[in-house]
Amino acid sequence: MPATDYQASFLGRISIRRNQVIAMDGNHEQELQDLELFSKHVSERFAELLSSPDDIPCHALLSISWLRKLLDFFLCCEAEFKGVLMMGNDPSQISKPPLDRLIPEFLDRSVKALDVCNAVTNGLESVRHYQKLAEIVVSALEQKPIGDGQSRRAKKALTSLMSAMNVDDKECSAAKATERSWSFSRRGVSSKDRVPEHFRSVSNQVAKNWSAAKQIQAMTNNLVPPRGAEGSGLASPVYTMSVIMVFVMWALVAAIPCQERNGLSAIHFPAPKQLNWAQSIIGLHEKIGEEWKKKEKKGTAGLLDEMQKMEKLGNILMDFTDSFQFHGDITDQKAEEAAARSVELAETCRRMEEGLLPLQIQIREVFHRIVKTRTELLNALDQVGKSSPPLL
Amino acid sequence: MDGCQSGVPTYEGDLHVVAAAHHIVKALGATKNLSDDLRKILIDLDSHLSMITSNIDSKGGRGLVDVEERLDQAERKIMRWETDPMMIWDSGPKEASDYLEAVDETGKLVDGLRGLSVHENRKQKEILHRAMNILQMAMSRLEEELIHILVRHGQQFEPKHMYSRSIRKDIVYDESFVSVEDEPIKETSSRNYSNDESGECIVDLVHADVIPDIKSIAKVMFTSNYGPEFCEAFISVQKEALEQYFSFLGTENLSIEDVLKMEWTCLSSKMNKWTWSMKIIVRVYLASEKQLCDQVLGGLGSVSSYCFLEISKATILCLLNFGEAVAMGPHRPEKLLRLLDMYETLACLLRDIDTLFSEEAGSFIQLQFHELLERLGESAIAAFEAFRVAISSNGSLYPFAGGGVHPLNKYVMNYIRMFPEYCNTLNLLLKNQHPGVADQVTEPDYGLDASLLTSCPMAYHLRSITSCLESNLHKKSQLYKDEALQHIFLMNNIHYLVQKVKGSELRLFFGDEWIRKHNAMFQQHAMNYERATWSSVVSFLKDDNPGSSSMSKSTFKERCKGFSVAFEEVYKTQTSWSIPDPELREDLRISTSLKVVLAYRTFLGRNLAYTDDKCVKHTVEHVENSLLDLFEGSSRSLRNSRRW
Repeated sequence: MPATDYQASFLGRISIRRNQVIAMDGNHEQELQDLELFSKHVSERFAELLSSPDDIPCHALLSISWLRKLLDFFLCCEAEFKGVLMMGNDPSQISKPPLDRLIPEFLDRSVKALDVCNAVTNGLESVRHYQKLAEIVVSALEQKPIGDGQSRRAKKALTSLMSAMNVDDKECSAAKATERSWSFSRRGVSSKDRVPEHFRSVSNQVAKNWSAAKQIQAMTNNLVPPRGAEGSGLASPVYTMSVIMVFVMWALVAAIPCQERNGLSAIHFPAPKQLNWAQSIIGLHEKIGEEWKKKEKKGTAGLLDEMQKMEKLGNILMDFTDSFQFHGDITDQKAEEAAARSVELAETCRRMEEGLLPLQIQIREVFHRIVKTRTELLNALDQVGKSSPPLL
Repeated sequence: MDGCQSGVPTYEGDLHVVAAAHHIVKALGATKNLSDDLRKILIDLDSHLSMITSNIDSKGGRGLVDVEERLDQAERKIMRWETDPMMIWDSGPKEASDYLEAVDETGKLVDGLRGLSVHENRKQKEILHRAMNILQMAMSRLEEELIHILVRHGQQFEPKHMYSRSIRKDIVYDESFVSVEDEPIKETSSRNYSNDESGECIVDLVHADVIPDIKSIAKVMFTSNYGPEFCEAFISVQKEALEQYFSFLGTENLSIEDVLKMEWTCLSSKMNKWTWSMKIIVRVYLASEKQLCDQVLGGLGSVSSYCFLEISKATILCLLNFGEAVAMGPHRPEKLLRLLDMYETLACLLRDIDTLFSEEAGSFIQLQFHELLERLGESAIAAFEAFRVAISSNGSLYPFAGGGVHPLNKYVMNYIRMFPEYCNTLNLLLKNQHPGVADQVTEPDYGLDASLLTSCPMAYHLRSITSCLESNLHKKSQLYKDEALQHIFLMNNIHYLVQKVKGSELRLFFGDEWIRKHNAMFQQHAMNYERATWSSVVSFLKDDNPGSSSMSKSTFKERCKGFSVAFEEVYKTQTSWSIPDPELREDLRISTSLKVVLAYRTFLGRNLAYTDDKCVKHTVEHVENSLLDLFEGSSRSLRNSRRW
């Protein structure tokens, strides 16, 4: 895991340097260098994400592997951030203005990010369900020669797939989407008869009335770039890390089905363009925001590249199965076309099969990392609080 | 099997060979202990042989006709149900088995026709497509039947046969430590379940009678390559059932933010509920679900564990998230016992979890459990430390009125009285806290061996807690201006401490030596009290010249008056003081009485000549009775005393 490797070597470097710092006592220049290095790395990493070639499917913006890279970078930045913040010269800095206000705000944001991580984890369960349905479509269409039975089978799975993705469209809620739908029923064994009306899938909800969009909106509260003298101190990495955290959570929510996303595109976070490191993030935010606005009108289960492909291929194959049933048979050309799409769909499924679980594990890693940093920061604040004279 | 396709027999004799082979295959197929691969091969072989037979017949033009006839028959049986409003499995076992037979037959025909190179023969191709169409219809139908059976025969079970752990009285902490009532009744006995008591109680989530039906549907769907459809339907129903059960237990989803903001009383009851739900879900529900999956899908490789994981993952993650949120929250002392409950629950479920999610795909869940356990352990230790800090730093500005047992003392002692129940867990967690202590003991299981208990890590920490408490109480005693009251306060509190230790399992951890020492301590305070209060009073009664027979009247009068005033003063102050323990109060009165009354009686006895004087304000009896009013906690004065 590159993130961990990086962290290990980074921390190693820091601890060696820390001894030097102690030796030289109050080395302010070192701290400035640290801050510079941090924002340089941030800027490099996000530039790489921005320039990811769209035409290679496994590198495309918001593809599974792109998201994994994003999370990897998040973990790297996070480790570096912690290094800058906590291994700096004077631990008591974090309890002095402006950090005494900024750190609690940062911790508050962290907690909100944790709930977003959970919502996204739930959303990945939906995606996994789409994958399983798509796999049925593929296996039906793989049969040669394709006959009415196979076409019906494919159509049935496609109907389930499209309506599952559509539930997300309309409700923007993972709550219903993950109720696995098993298509129509002739005898009224529909889900309504089986369970009481009021019952809604609970385990896929973060909480009642929880909204991913609102959560992210709330994360941007008080998020303003440090001004004046603050800009050169530790306030700046806190701000940078906050922006990164908000952006990563926002991108995840845009990509993956999530509980309540209305108003996601309206979220702005003030990252001034003149800040070097922020440029790529702003670029990505604009790019993804555009995509989201386009899809928002039609409604979408999420911008995840693989899901969008699935939706597109699903529509084509749906037409194919429809015409198959209508005409009883099809031309060889159409059959070939369908076979080609089905191969593409199979490829998409394969990428999901390979990537979804690792992505889920990685999100959990991000979760645990945020928890850990939060605990460490709280402990540090506690320590500082104890060692400083009581306020009485 | 390619051989079968190419070598189409040409004469009668072959028919017999094929028939014989067919017979053998059928006989083999009936054997029970077949691996699934083997069974599949036999089924394939069976359909191939059927085809060969029809091909041989086709020499006479009858082959495909025969296949078509068989398909027609199967189709009739399958199509009949398409218009029937009844569910097949509700209509009776005969109907169900007929249907399955027809589906099976169709499947065989499909396999057989596919095995032959159908491309050349238009007629064959047509029949194959027809057969596959029928098969698709049947599969769709079976999916519905499966859902219907699962829903109709799904069993709700009440968690009533589970150990219902009586919820212990919540100790609610607040800054003043005053909210604890003394003597919480029988708390200790309520935690009477043992970790293994719950046992492996597996219930039937779906009625046992229909398991064979579900299995037969699974079998035919998997044989026809409709396994994914089966899984999707099965998972969806079972997942929903679990979620329904989950909400039936009253567990609701909470965001981490909500948990962190929650009031302690509410959080405490949620933590209790979590502990309880977690056990039922894992030990009973998931164990039963696992069994169901294995019963239905066993022998299909990883399918069973795949389905199980899909069914349970969301609910498990939901439970884990609450745990994470709790472990993240502020480490308040009052959380300690609930955290330990959660820790112990998880620790004793780990083995179940590792078994339930033993496959590679489940290792993610396994890992999350182990991580949460670690987190809860850390959190418990932090709460333990916070407890110690809260005891040390509990400050007061004013002396505690009456000198009785301080609420802090009550809170702490009643709280730690519950620690012995968590002995093993606390020892495990505290072991690493002070390496020096851990080294003394090599055996981690302390059991009930009294000699070891006093040296286990928990015992060390318990004693360190009480010594924090003692030094805080000393600090509090300094707030009294009256030295005597300082001693009453300390006597009361140390006596309370000792009583609490002696009256509970704590005595095993503190040891006799500690008890002896502390007994001596409060007795010392009692003596110090007597000296501080009564020495000056009794000094009035002292005979300055033991040699001479009596003192002068004026001296007597003066002494008498001095005594009365001093005694009345003591009476007035010390009736408002409090010794809550009746025995201790009694003891102190007796010893005071011995000292004061005896001295007074001697004094009066020696000066009998003056005793009728009105300067003798109090009789001996009166003094003796008055002493009984001390330490009752309500101030009185000696106004209506009898005069001579």
